[in-house]
Amino acid sequence: MEKGLSVRRIVIAGVLGAIAILLGVSRLGYIPVPTPAGNATIMHVPAIIGGIIEGPIVGLIIGLIFGVSSFLDATVPLFKDPLVSIFPRLFIGVIAFFVYFGFKRFNEYVAIGAAGFVGSMTNTILVLGMAVIRGYFTLSVALGVAIANGIPEAIVALIVTLAIVTSWKKIGGSIKKKSKISEDI
Amino acid sequence: MTSRFELTRNITIGQYIPTGSVIHQFEASLKLLSFAILVVGIAICSSYTGNLILLAFSIALFGIARIPIHYGISGIKPALPFMIILSLMQLLFYGQAAQGETTLFQFGFILITTSSVQLVIVSAMRFIEIILVSSVLTLSTSTTEMTHGLEHLLKPLKYIKFPVYEFSLIITIAIRFVPTFAMEMEKLMKAQASRGAEFGTGKWWQIVRKTKDTFPLIIPLFSSAMERAEDLILAMESRCYTPGLKRTSYRQYKIALRDFLLLIITTLFSIFIVFYKFTY
Amino acid sequence: MSEEKIIEIKNLEYIYMQHTPLEHQALSGINMEVNRGECIAIIGHTGSGKSTLIQHLNGLMQPQKGKIIVDGEDLSDSNVDLKALRRKVGLVFQNPESQIFEHLIGDEVAYGPFKLGLPLNEVRKRVKWAMEMVGLSFNEMKDRPTYALSGGQKRKVALAGVLALKPEILVLDEPTAGLDPYSKNELLEKIKKLNREEKITVIFISHNLEEVSFLAHRLYVLANGKNLVDGTPNDLFSNKEILEKYKIGTPDSVDILYKLKDAGFSINPRLFDVSCVAAQIFSILSTYQRRVTDDISV
Ligand SMILES: Nc1ncnc2c1ncn2[C@@H]1O[C@H](COP(=O)(O)OP(=O)(O)OP(=O)(O)O)[C@@H](O)[C@H]1O
Ligand SMILES: [Mg+2]
Repeated sequence: MEKGLSVRRIVIAGVLGAIAILLGVSRLGYIPVPTPAGNATIMHVPAIIGGIIEGPIVGLIIGLIFGVSSFLDATVPLFKDPLVSIFPRLFIGVIAFFVYFGFKRFNEYVAIGAAGFVGSMTNTILVLGMAVIRGYFTLSVALGVAIANGIPEAIVALIVTLAIVTSWKKIGGSIKKKSKISEDI
Repeated sequence: MTSRFELTRNITIGQYIPTGSVIHQFEASLKLLSFAILVVGIAICSSYTGNLILLAFSIALFGIARIPIHYGISGIKPALPFMIILSLMQLLFYGQAAQGETTLFQFGFILITTSSVQLVIVSAMRFIEIILVSSVLTLSTSTTEMTHGLEHLLKPLKYIKFPVYEFSLIITIAIRFVPTFAMEMEKLMKAQASRGAEFGTGKWWQIVRKTKDTFPLIIPLFSSAMERAEDLILAMESRCYTPGLKRTSYRQYKIALRDFLLLIITTLFSIFIVFYKFTY
Repeated sequence: MSEEKIIEIKNLEYIYMQHTPLEHQALSGINMEVNRGECIAIIGHTGSGKSTLIQHLNGLMQPQKGKIIVDGEDLSDSNVDLKALRRKVGLVFQNPESQIFEHLIGDEVAYGPFKLGLPLNEVRKRVKWAMEMVGLSFNEMKDRPTYALSGGQKRKVALAGVLALKPEILVLDEPTAGLDPYSKNELLEKIKKLNREEKITVIFISHNLEEVSFLAHRLYVLANGKNLVDGTPNDLFSNKEILEKYKIGTPDSVDILYKLKDAGFSINPRLFDVSCVAAQIFSILSTYQRRVTDDISV
């Protein structure tokens, strides 16, 4: 993979960064599923996708943009702490890239899905870890949240990442050959 | 409610109130740096007195910037419920973690000590201070100034081969496209609602289904973002933009004495707040 | 076409971003009536409020002031069944191809009917009907990926996606904008068929006067959030005072007729259909030619 910031990487990091900000400031970044928080966020998905398609640097920058916007926009004291809201976010896209890269030889779909899942878990674990270190949660509370919130959120991230990246790489057709209404009944 | 889909109204990124005060006139890069130093100071300071001083200082900033204080308060209001919940949690569960303090109250697993009370009060104050200070920063600096400021601030990193110009270009693109995508999103929500889409159906435990409900919005949103990206890449490449080249800026970059004064005063103030041993 | 009113709009007003510094009055008193089975065009300069107006028709926007009645139902009523309304009034946005999200064409068109909770059999029937209606072969196209389509085909898929809801009223925002001339004509033919044969009431926005005279029974002219004038394309386009007064512009064929008239030829400006214009020019030419030959013979 070519190194450094090409025009392509600059633009894609910017555009996906914009989506990360938009998902954060509108209600759109939240999907109502059963977690203690009442919803799973997909605001970190642009960072995952950036890592998958353009590599770790782009993933890191989008994570940074997401982190800063969640810091500026925070309504929870926890996220008004830059060590919790910004620092952990830098790793989402980077880790997603390495997972994708590692699994790619094996199977493209598995690689994308795994990157989505692990990227999301990275977010959960690092944010909560930081929250424990900074004294917002005790370890047991953090562990509870990590399981009850982190896993549904990682499943959501897996589905969304897979759908977006396949539709974009235009490889969706090879999963599904027939539409739902195709067969006579 | 007149429109069920007026998304753009709720997005206040880059809100800027030009009053021309001295805070507005500070050069953006040093203003940003001073802000960062102050936030670190706030994050570390854990004494009552220090935080009282910081709170008074943050409120005073609004006066100096001639920005009505209600802009700051409106940032705090939506956070109140969370603050209360967090405070309760810290109060109930954090006692055990800080052993060896004066116990104020004990019942079952609940242990409240002087230090857990202090943690609760200080985190709430910190939070309010950071909201106020960052409101002043964003309300007194336009987004263009902010990106230019960031660029200058990162300039020294060039010596370790950090792509400063490219980085600020990314930020500029990101901020530029948020309103565009918000409009796009609004149109998509309307278009999909017109053909029977409902957002948020299904039972609460159907994670996959709930996630798929968002596909009609997020898949077109991402693909239109990619289309715009491709157009922009083409436009930049055809104008021979090459990353990493030295380029000239048409605006003069000027730092006045008062900008350095701001930086020095903020730094000294933060050091004082962090290291002075307050009795409380 | 019956005389039964299917849509009635009275003094409709709408302000964007009300109570903010960015407040903007987009509609300031729209009055409109549409009969069942009619085909209505809405024209007007950019920013005149056309798109804002049509988004009221299926309840995407609620009237701030004034009244809209669709098929006997008052849309200001907060109890109005939006789902049923959106099934009855199919709205196709400008550049609808950007809303496509499924991998396969069949699934994309079937999205709406599935959301209605219809049985598979019925969904299949509707998808087939809708696809054939817009000129996409059901058998050939249903399992094709959506990304491999041309712009014109994508637009047809999006239109089919709305048609599959079987709307009684079809509302289209600039349906032909950005299409090549061939796809444009093809799409216009399909819309005409939906109106004239399937009896669907059609309301469409357009900037193209030829298109309006080809398709519409009547048209409304909007400016600054108000409707200025309405009538049949024939009445409006052949009336030079109206065209100039309301800055409507002139269809090319009408322009030619008026130029001939100014030059002293006797023409009928009401017959501005391309074939009629050709016939009129032809008759002028033949009389002129006769006159010339007469002159020579003398
Ligand atoms: N979401 C919005 N927020 C604020 N103002 C808006 C919004 N949408 C439209 N407007 C404004 O309302 C006015 C009418 O817009 P509308 O889209 O209805 O015009 P139009 O007649 O459809 O124009 P066009 O021919 O360019 O499509 C315009 O001045 C526009 O700037
Ligand atoms: Mg319009």
